[in-house]
Amino acid sequence: MNLKNTLMELLSINAVSGSEESAYNYLTNILRNYTTSIETKNGNIIAHFGNRTADKPHVLVDAHIDQIGMICTYIMEDGFIKFSNIGGLDLRIMLAQQVIIHGKEDVYGVISSVPPHLSSGKSNEVKEISELYIDTGYKKEELEKIVSLGDKISFYSDAVELLNDRIASKSLDNRSSVASVLYMISLLGEENIDCSFSVLFSSQEEIGERGAKIACFEIEPDFAIAVDVTFAKTADEDPYKCGNMDGGPMIGVSPSLSREISEKLINICKKQSIPYQIEVMNGLTGTNADQFSISKCGVKTCTCSIPLKYMHTPVEVVSIKDIENTSKLLVEFLKEV
Amino acid sequence: MLNHLKDLSNLIGVSGDENKVREYIIENIKDKCEYKIDNLGNIIAFKKGKNKIEKKIMFAAHMDEVGMIVNYINDDGTLKISPVGGLYVEVVIGRSVIVSKNNMKGVIGSKAVHNLSSEEKKSSPKFDNLYVDIGSQSKEETEKYINLGDTVAFMPNFMEFGDDKIKSKALDDRIGCAIMLDLISDELEYDAYFAFTVQEELGLRGARTSTYDIEPDFAIVLETTTASDIPNVSEEKVVCKLGKGAVVSYMDRSTIYDKELYSLAFEISKSNNILCQTKTAVVGGNDSGAIHISRKGVRTIAISAPSRYLHSPASVVKKSDLIACENLAKMLFLRIANI
Repeated sequence: MNLKNTLMELLSINAVSGSEESAYNYLTNILRNYTTSIETKNGNIIAHFGNRTADKPHVLVDAHIDQIGMICTYIMEDGFIKFSNIGGLDLRIMLAQQVIIHGKEDVYGVISSVPPHLSSGKSNEVKEISELYIDTGYKKEELEKIVSLGDKISFYSDAVELLNDRIASKSLDNRSSVASVLYMISLLGEENIDCSFSVLFSSQEEIGERGAKIACFEIEPDFAIAVDVTFAKTADEDPYKCGNMDGGPMIGVSPSLSREISEKLINICKKQSIPYQIEVMNGLTGTNADQFSISKCGVKTCTCSIPLKYMHTPVEVVSIKDIENTSKLLVEFLKEV
Repeated sequence: MLNHLKDLSNLIGVSGDENKVREYIIENIKDKCEYKIDNLGNIIAFKKGKNKIEKKIMFAAHMDEVGMIVNYINDDGTLKISPVGGLYVEVVIGRSVIVSKNNMKGVIGSKAVHNLSSEEKKSSPKFDNLYVDIGSQSKEETEKYINLGDTVAFMPNFMEFGDDKIKSKALDDRIGCAIMLDLISDELEYDAYFAFTVQEELGLRGARTSTYDIEPDFAIVLETTTASDIPNVSEEKVVCKLGKGAVVSYMDRSTIYDKELYSLAFEISKSNNILCQTKTAVVGGNDSGAIHISRKGVRTIAISAPSRYLHSPASVVKKSDLIACENLAKMLFLRIANI
């Protein structure tokens, strides 16, 4: 499997929270090469590997498949669309952003607002979401044939390759992790390992880890790893809140996570010379791990996060090397657990 | 014209760095007219018509676009930038960009929304706090690809969409350039001069020298102008609308236009069914400002395409308006020749 190509293909899919079905085909086609046990339901894609028996541990490896975006709430008289956010949007970056409305067919648009020189507000004041509209270039009657209320909206921006094997794109949160887990599966290949495991590409993480909650209930794992992205150091981020690009996967250490698993992951990295970083959190993690750890009678859970710059913008940046090292760590964890 | 417009809009030509646009234009006019490049980089072209006329008529459109310029390389390899031309910071953050001269791709990100204070969420950052990330890990690495003074433009993104609409960067003023390329390709009734100007966005600078050189009697400026026909803008502030045709203004912040030419434009519009509208406010400005007071004065008119979101990575225009601009320019030229 070519990791970069897989990532690029994943980035071309739009799966705003609640509309993850659009990723079903691509993922099941890949997973089918490695297992026959694949389920798709509630936006979740679940694949099972190995013979599950009572005497062996069962591991859940999760990466959420959904992405932040918007939802169409109203079509105005002049054919502009009013919308609401799905997940945490940075409203500072919205003006003149290009978007796709996923109606009966894809409709392209530009985010519009009353320009500063015509509005009464202060010039550097960020517009509220209620003051933003999407210009689709259509009249209302034409637009209503294609777009319905409730249709999802995603940012439109092509992925760009930067220096040093870095990729800039929308939705790297969390396709980077999805790519990492797919690459993990391909690295494991036919290898015999002592545990059985399930891979979960979960839905609706961005609006409260909902897919993870219901999937974990059914999977009933002994251990769970939530693979997600976390903040990488940029020129304007505080270093103590961030990891470094190319520093390797960030292993979570937190009161809400299993210290046993955190330490196991750290020891594996040391033993296998996989670069790693420690991400200390002082409570919940803001990832699917928060749901796994308290599922049913509790699951020993840890986070494994890929450093990412400019989170929740259309120009998030990750390093392919970090994705690859995350895959290696996951492979070794499954072998050792 | 639309093919030229697509090619031209996707070229990078921030003010002072119009080279790629200039090369494209020269490639397309070199066998069709006489031309020269002046000291500022303007293209000054002359095309013979079927009939010789005494008066000199000049068309003008600017080649440059708004963008940014690299003014410092940070230790972490990112680039500090400042705006070139009137550019709001709001349309710059969260975009991918391209840096001359090596066509390096980069992004302008910002601290993650999760880590912003509630104060920071409510106000736009300043240009001084932005930077371009090209993926480089150090100042030394960046210096291999980037020089101070390199210009930064929005990523090319021309697209037709909606009902007869186009969205792209740099429609201001590649639309004017594309119309002039059409005019030069046509067989002209009368002799005509064409100025493809530089540095309009910095203060109409190329227009000043090229007009001095050509010394025209009449000028037709081909431009774009702001349309605010968007929700929640009161009718009188809309200025002009997409789909209502070419915009001919009586006055903007740079020029009071020639009254006879203004009336002539609307007369032509009426008798030839070419949609034409005026601006309902005195706003904006263009190369006319420098042209109409060149030497002892030039009788000047501007024909503009109404455009939403000017100076952004995604300006929006309607194709039928562009065709109206071109048709009006052609007819006006014939009438001016016979004044």
